[in-house]
Amino acid sequence: MAAHVPVLEDDSLLSRLDRVLYRVERVLALLSGLAVFALMVLAVMSVGGRNFLNQPVPGYVDWIQQAMPLIAFMGISFTQRDGGHIRMDILIGALKGRFLWAAEFLTTFAMLILMALLVWGTWAHFQRSFDFAAPMWSRDSSFDINLPLWPAKLLAPVAFSVLCLRLGLQLWAYGRAFVLGLVEPVAVPLVQSAAEQAAAEAEHVSGADG
Amino acid sequence: MEPIDIGIWVTAGLFLVVVLGMRVAFAAALAGLVGLVWIFWSKKGYAGDDFLWALTVAVKTAGQVPHSKVASQALSLIPTFILIGYLAYYAGLTRALFEAAKRWIAWVPGGLAVSTVFATAGFAAVSGASVATAAVFARIAIPEMLKIGYDKRFAAGVVAAGGTLASLIPPSAILVIYAIIVEQDVGKLLLAGFIPGVVSACIYGLLIVGLALTLKNFGPPVRGFTWGQRFRALPPALPIVFVVVTIIFFVYNPFGGDAWGTPTEGGAIGAFVVFLMALWRGMRWPQFKDALLETARLSVMIFTIIWGVLIYVRFLGFADLPGAFSDWITSLDQSPMLTLVLILLAYAVLGMFMDAIGMLLLTLPVVYPAVMALNGGEFVSAEDSAFGMSGPMCAIWFGILVVKMAEFCLITPPIGLNCFVVAGVRDDLTVQDVFKGVTPFFIADAITIAVLIMVPGIVLWLPSFA
Amino acid sequence: SEALATEWNVSLWGKRRAFTEHVEKLAELVSEKTGGEFTLNISYGGLSKNTENLDGISIGAFEMAQFCAGYHRDKNPSITVLELPFLGVESLEQEREISMALYDHPAVKADLARWNATLLMPSPLPQYNFVGVGDAPRTLDDFKGLSVRATGGIGAAMETIGAVPTSMSATEVRQALDSGVVKAVSFAPHAHMSFGTIETGSWWTTNLNPGTVNCPVVINTDALNALSDTERTALLGSVDEALEYYIDYYNNQTMAKWGPALDERGIERVSYGPEEIAAFKAAAAGPAATAWIEENSARGLPAQELYDFVTGMVGQ
Ligand code: NA
Ligand code: NA
Repeated sequence: MAAHVPVLEDDSLLSRLDRVLYRVERVLALLSGLAVFALMVLAVMSVGGRNFLNQPVPGYVDWIQQAMPLIAFMGISFTQRDGGHIRMDILIGALKGRFLWAAEFLTTFAMLILMALLVWGTWAHFQRSFDFAAPMWSRDSSFDINLPLWPAKLLAPVAFSVLCLRLGLQLWAYGRAFVLGLVEPVAVPLVQSAAEQAAAEAEHVSGADG
Repeated sequence: MEPIDIGIWVTAGLFLVVVLGMRVAFAAALAGLVGLVWIFWSKKGYAGDDFLWALTVAVKTAGQVPHSKVASQALSLIPTFILIGYLAYYAGLTRALFEAAKRWIAWVPGGLAVSTVFATAGFAAVSGASVATAAVFARIAIPEMLKIGYDKRFAAGVVAAGGTLASLIPPSAILVIYAIIVEQDVGKLLLAGFIPGVVSACIYGLLIVGLALTLKNFGPPVRGFTWGQRFRALPPALPIVFVVVTIIFFVYNPFGGDAWGTPTEGGAIGAFVVFLMALWRGMRWPQFKDALLETARLSVMIFTIIWGVLIYVRFLGFADLPGAFSDWITSLDQSPMLTLVLILLAYAVLGMFMDAIGMLLLTLPVVYPAVMALNGGEFVSAEDSAFGMSGPMCAIWFGILVVKMAEFCLITPPIGLNCFVVAGVRDDLTVQDVFKGVTPFFIADAITIAVLIMVPGIVLWLPSFA
Repeated sequence: SEALATEWNVSLWGKRRAFTEHVEKLAELVSEKTGGEFTLNISYGGLSKNTENLDGISIGAFEMAQFCAGYHRDKNPSITVLELPFLGVESLEQEREISMALYDHPAVKADLARWNATLLMPSPLPQYNFVGVGDAPRTLDDFKGLSVRATGGIGAAMETIGAVPTSMSATEVRQALDSGVVKAVSFAPHAHMSFGTIETGSWWTTNLNPGTVNCPVVINTDALNALSDTERTALLGSVDEALEYYIDYYNNQTMAKWGPALDERGIERVSYGPEEIAAFKAAAAGPAATAWIEENSARGLPAQELYDFVTGMVGQ
């Protein structure tokens, strides 16, 4: 339902790696969706508990704060794989061939450097809340029921590392497309041709109907 | 170089990389990180040995932002409101609403497009996210409009514009974000959005009727539904009333007793009701998994923008750009109403380049206090105020105006999220097509804003009861 | 190269209020004393989130910051002793004196040194009390089953008399009170006024006094060491005056507004008899102190010593 474009596949090592990583990314994204669902269930329990048992879920806010990083980070690489992070494609949409791949390579490379630095930065953030010597290894805990915060903080560098792997694969794919002058490289999100669009659409519409 | 100058240079650089096609969330984060390095290094007089220190401090400062900003209870409303939208799709509500709207209203000129607008308005009462609304209606309404000969660009434009209604009509993720930033009552703001949302939908509808009457070969009216067919279309859409009532009781109990909980809980309960409905309508694990994945995809996209922009905002904090802006605005020597209109115009321009949430996060800490000061302060009475309303009412009124502007920026090029989403769902449409089709709605939005400014009662009547 | 004027960034949050007046005063004094060569550039929320000010200090992102111990007790366990319920501190002056003495304790200094931080001064706050809606709890028994917004040590204390502490962010407090999700909210008077609880509330507990929060102002130790002698003298020599200004402001401006604010809104003042308070204290204070000492001894802090240090000073 949301914006995403197809990624071509073949038997090359690159494409096989792409699909392996995609399986991992899907699982992580599903975790994120389940966390949203869990939030919903938690609210139902909290309301029910308060109104019927006069006993709200202890640390309701604390649990929400633990779940939010799951929702916010775990799908980041999944979304990048399918081209789901928004961008302005007016300029890049007008490029063709090697110019296009060079431009994609450069912006992807900038993203990789950024995310590598942020893995470092978010890891440092995690480390400041983690202490092997402390009870629950915690040097920072939540307000009400003192849940250790380090597991939630650790999610950021983990998810960002997976994104770095994805960006590495995309760099490889764009670089290969540039060197070989490819038209439809594998393992990167593409803009579809009209005929393929029609076929894909027909297939989709015959599926789930709302 | 002064921090302010660094702020201006880095901001220019951000626009450049965005235009070059770097994904917006990451472009903002990169600009913020580069800006932080620059600021810290400049503090040491750009000594060569100090670059590594500046880089370390900047990276660690930026590294705090993602976790610390997303681990928030209030932001948890966003994924829940998105999930409701997708579950409602599987509960058959989207289709039912569209069908009912079609049978009841499609006989007017431009009928199917008008029906689409009112169906999105109805769906807005269960969906909290404009993009999610645009996404589901792109799937249902565009094919029907194309079937009877609508221009595909206009059909896409109707859906992109109609989707924005979801953020005025409660529940609304972006109203929640506004309430959080300015520390106002979430419940009153949600109530305040209702009538302006309906007014906005009516203005969209009138615009389409006007276009249909003046343009040849515009989509024809769809006639021939019997009254029996019309009434039979209503029951499947009724559950939406149930959801609306649930959410209202959680925000504000109209019968005067205690409300049932907080808006956060209300959103979650609403989602739960729709979840049960979807189960009843035959949603099973494959569809549910799909809904979860789509919710995750949209949520992560929004949250990545949130933390990415907030890294940039963190840098702006160090550059003190907001402070400089605030001083400038309050020093202006002109009527408060003119200043307010100029601020809204500035939002229109900024909104062209920014995403709605990013824009609010970026500007409100600066603009909101300035607007409150223009009106005469946070606790001013209606009699002593510049805009003829008390401080708390002004906060609500400005909130609705600014959210309407933020919605406007969802459909303006070059960065208009709703148009991206519609183009993404419909592979036969480019982003440029959708931007072309949505252009007429700029006029409708301008009219809506003018009406809301001239008749503040539209916004303030409902919350005055709460 | 030319000598750069020293400019420190100071990370506070919210907006300028009674709670931040000592930092504003300090900035004014330091700039005055150094002829503008050393300035404190105060930011309200632009540099960090309030719960991460200590992280920002340890990174070196800014040189001075304010935070509350209870935001993250694992980060600064040593000073949370001052947030224990029913310590018996009676005035802002006493709160200041005890805080300053504790901040000088070697164990406390070592605790904060893990964050590369040096404690400069406290932000003394009066005892927390409840503003609530509905029937006023005239005896402590009436708190049984009452849902209250109270966090940390105060929440734990309220549990001992059967109240049900519910957690929520500060921005949801007003809404929660309006909608009846909680019946009462605990804050210091200035926060009751700025979060608008008194707009909805109908009663206020005058003397429950279960405790308060401890919110120090800290500086990055490297930045402190890098100051010239003149600058350091100007900074450290202004602390006393800044605190005097703060306490005077809180007592004579904020507290002066508090009584009339209650009267204007017809808010009933609920007071409890000495026996009742004594019983509450007996139920809450002892167990909380024991638990605190046990937990923090396990962390390797001289917890008993810190507790005795504080209670000894209170008793004087
Ligand atoms: Na909505
Ligand atoms: Na835009």
